[in-house]
Amino acid sequence: ATHISSDRELRDFGECMQQWVEFQSRTHAMSLSLTSQLRLILTPSQSTKLSGSFRTGKRLNIKRIIPYIASSYKRDKIWMRRSVPTKRTYQIMLCVDDSKSMGEAGSGTLAMESLVMVSRSLTMLEVGQVGVMGFGADVFTAHELTDPFAADAGARVLQNFTFSQNRTDIVLLIRQTIDKFRIARQQQSNGGLWQLALIISDGLVESSTHDVIRRLLREAMEERIMMVFIVMDDQVQKGSSVLDLGSAKFQDGEVVVTKYLDTFPFPYFLIVHNLEELPSALAGLLRMWFAEVAS
Amino acid sequence: MLTALPVKVIFTTDEPDLALPETKQQLLVPADIKRYGLSRILNSSSMLDTSSPVPLDFLANGTFLRTTIEEHLASEGLSAETTLTLKYVRSLIPPVYEASF
Ligand SMILES: [Mg+2]
Repeated sequence: ATHISSDRELRDFGECMQQWVEFQSRTHAMSLSLTSQLRLILTPSQSTKLSGSFRTGKRLNIKRIIPYIASSYKRDKIWMRRSVPTKRTYQIMLCVDDSKSMGEAGSGTLAMESLVMVSRSLTMLEVGQVGVMGFGADVFTAHELTDPFAADAGARVLQNFTFSQNRTDIVLLIRQTIDKFRIARQQQSNGGLWQLALIISDGLVESSTHDVIRRLLREAMEERIMMVFIVMDDQVQKGSSVLDLGSAKFQDGEVVVTKYLDTFPFPYFLIVHNLEELPSALAGLLRMWFAEVAS
Repeated sequence: MLTALPVKVIFTTDEPDLALPETKQQLLVPADIKRYGLSRILNSSSMLDTSSPVPLDFLANGTFLRTTIEEHLASEGLSAETTLTLKYVRSLIPPVYEASF
């Protein structure tokens, strides 16, 4: 058995299995759409670069000609071929906000559906390992990166989420995600490893920690760990969008009201109002990120 | 230093002349704020933009808020994760007492 953190109270397995199946069928078309979009982005396109040294090939490798003649035509691997693109492997961590605000705003259901949809897409893609973590006042692992996503894995993941944690400690999540990815990288011999964390939350995180978050994200970036923040903006009532949300403070005795999102510390974030938007929005964001890291 | 988490508040009122536009009804406010601070925020140019300050009182679940938001939530067994609905009314406290609150 896996050691999933301490004595978390788990929801009923049968109930969660039912929920997983229901979410799965509701999001099936979206999963397929996301899979096909991600396939184009996550698997590198056919390389057109010619390289290497072969006995036969497409074009001569000029650097090999002199040694070839000097060796009395013995060292005859003088041809270049179209190189096979290096296979990229991914470790993708889905980090789901388990705090109380999620349950209150109805974002919890949207988050669960997103989790089901995205995790199924990634498993179908077979690009590497998929893990699931939950966060709030503390961080827990709902599915280890190294465990296969077996038939009952989804329901076991759902068992962990109750949306009743009394804080949303995003700093703790980022720290533990970086630590987890560091350990996971050491266990992989693959040089082409990319690590990606998708944070699914209502976006309400402790604003007093924004500077700390920025520093941690830079640290993650340097280690090729990408963190995307997906804001679930399920508007239960009109005017409740996080886009309009203001934040009031007192500065030198004066009232200052700013837009909450103006100081949101994540460079890569997207706002999703309903599930249907998620596949294209996520694919678009990842495409942008790959274009940036490739340049 | 640990700063208190901001709390998400929904402002409602029965007084039409003091109503906020829909997009301003939700606001994150410091958790250690009391009635006077909330009144100042609502009177500010970013919110109601009143020409002269209108002292306001706040009702949470039918009772007047007399503590910090944080203390109020704690007394109800809630945390900063809960969105607090505050109904505001013109204060009956004479303005002359304002300074002591
Ligand atoms: Mg929260």
